[in-house]
Amino acid sequence: MGDVTAALPTGTRDVLPVEAAELGEIEGALCDAFASFGYRRVATPALELAGVLDRAQEGGLGAAYRLFDERGRVLALRPDLTVPAARLIATRMADHPGPVRVSYVASAFRPPTPGRAEAAEQRLAGVELVGADGPAADAEAIAVLAAGLGATGLSGFRVGLGSVELTGAVLGALALSEEAEARLRAALRARDHVTWREAASAAGVGGDAARVLAALPGMRGGAEVLEWVSAAVPDAAPAAERLRHTLELLDRHGGRDAVVIDLGVMRDWPYYSGVVIEAYAPDVGAPVAMGGRYDGLAARFGRPRPAVGVAIALEALHRGLAAQRADAEGLHDGVVLVGGMDDAVEAARATREAGIPVVALPRGSEEAEALAAAERWRFVARPDGAGYAVHDVARDERFTCQRLAEGLASRAA
Amino acid sequence: MTICVPLGALFSDAAAALGAAGADVEPLRNGGRRLVLRAGDGTAYITTRPSDVPTYVEAGAADLGIVGKDVLLERDPDVYELLDLGFGGCRMVYATPEGDDPTPAALEHLGAVRVATKYPEVARAHFAATGRQVEVVKVNGSVELAPLVGLAHGIVDLTATGRTLAENGLVEREEIFHSTARLIANRASYTLRLEEIDRFAARLAGDAS
Repeated sequence: MGDVTAALPTGTRDVLPVEAAELGEIEGALCDAFASFGYRRVATPALELAGVLDRAQEGGLGAAYRLFDERGRVLALRPDLTVPAARLIATRMADHPGPVRVSYVASAFRPPTPGRAEAAEQRLAGVELVGADGPAADAEAIAVLAAGLGATGLSGFRVGLGSVELTGAVLGALALSEEAEARLRAALRARDHVTWREAASAAGVGGDAARVLAALPGMRGGAEVLEWVSAAVPDAAPAAERLRHTLELLDRHGGRDAVVIDLGVMRDWPYYSGVVIEAYAPDVGAPVAMGGRYDGLAARFGRPRPAVGVAIALEALHRGLAAQRADAEGLHDGVVLVGGMDDAVEAARATREAGIPVVALPRGSEEAEALAAAERWRFVARPDGAGYAVHDVARDERFTCQRLAEGLASRAA
Repeated sequence: MTICVPLGALFSDAAAALGAAGADVEPLRNGGRRLVLRAGDGTAYITTRPSDVPTYVEAGAADLGIVGKDVLLERDPDVYELLDLGFGGCRMVYATPEGDDPTPAALEHLGAVRVATKYPEVARAHFAATGRQVEVVKVNGSVELAPLVGLAHGIVDLTATGRTLAENGLVEREEIFHSTARLIANRASYTLRLEEIDRFAARLAGDAS
């Protein structure tokens, strides 16, 4: 073997001053956002007793680095932060009147999968809201996530919301065989919609329910998706209503435009029980944040309480911010608004009041793209149904939003 | 939107399917040997070896990709598998030289059968699932050669018509799975470009069914 002074364990790396400074800024912005909702920072040890973490889930701990302590007990480097935080809250804060709001910034460790570019050490910043149930708590966790991502300057991110409860209710209502259900769940976890549809059509159900079942993982959009599911599968209506209520609350939190219902969002970890959350940012192939509701977890540490949490992957977020800086150079954060001189004067005014310049054109104008290119404006928007269709030139992305000012503000740096 | 298209056997069917779904595939047809092609409607195409398609899509270098199910089963990438496109049909098989199948004797006397393949994960999974021990020899081409020169007892490989197997004196002993071309999507793109991807996948599905 040659020079080993530069060798590191597989999947780990050093962080040099420029990156460390940028990561530090991101952490600071996230912590400030968490603190503004009353979340207080905690820390847990990197090493835990493997048996304690095993207790958190049916299948056991799964992939983790394990080692022995001086007395021969098996230790594990924590593979995530949710389980240690749940342990801390259930044991050290058992007397807290609740709801408990805590945050953390720490590393989680997972042995890398051969052939994957995943890091073995992942730095996570997250929050846990324990002792609060229902849509109000779910909406707060998502609002904290959106506020945190926004505070770092990230724009154009999208938060997908699914519900393990809703998916489970649809599967349960159809009285599928155990084998059919296992096959469907495996397909959903693998994000394999082809196998899902094959398994769904082989499951032997008919009518509206069969159509919902076949389409379930690809069902995405707004509240209309939930209405369709509840109409076809009445047993799923309570879960759908909770998700709809969450959306309504998010509207009032101001984070609605970044959120999309996505019933295909699913998690490998069995402790999730309600809403599941995945956030994505442009130019980052993997999620920048994940989370969800896991009401059964705290009981496994002896203090049953409902809980919801999200964790932001700092390196993924950093990649998104770096790509965004590179893209946005030279463009002005303003919008060319077709109809801004007649049909959409109110939206133009609201957008200007939000601090985003609006260049107004009359309704039906065909010159918007050319004008934006000539004057280097970043957005082009047109009224579209009840909302606006927007072209983000910096990212070459098209999206729609209900309120123009909010839709643009979530993207503008 | 950026679409990763495999060179080789699936290329012309993939271009035809994309064209039928309304994409501007002119550059794919007349792009010569360029690897990144831009169409007038804003679509960009990346052309790569089939086995690299999941890599580009998983990393987000392409939003969508077209790739055989065989490659997905071998690589197990973290992507959405949205559609079975129906074309590119072929089968993954276990084949050994004609005459007596050497597999039972190898298992009985040597404890394991030696198999040459370009698909080591598929081969391992197949023999594990059928309770037999296997030594997998990874080769990168001309797999049919391996049993002829004593490198392996048999091969696990893809066959469309079975002609190459027959020409090399090999007989199919077991079918492992049937493969067709699939539409895959990057996880982030699938959410961030929801409207575009759902529209495009619906048009492709209309064409595929």
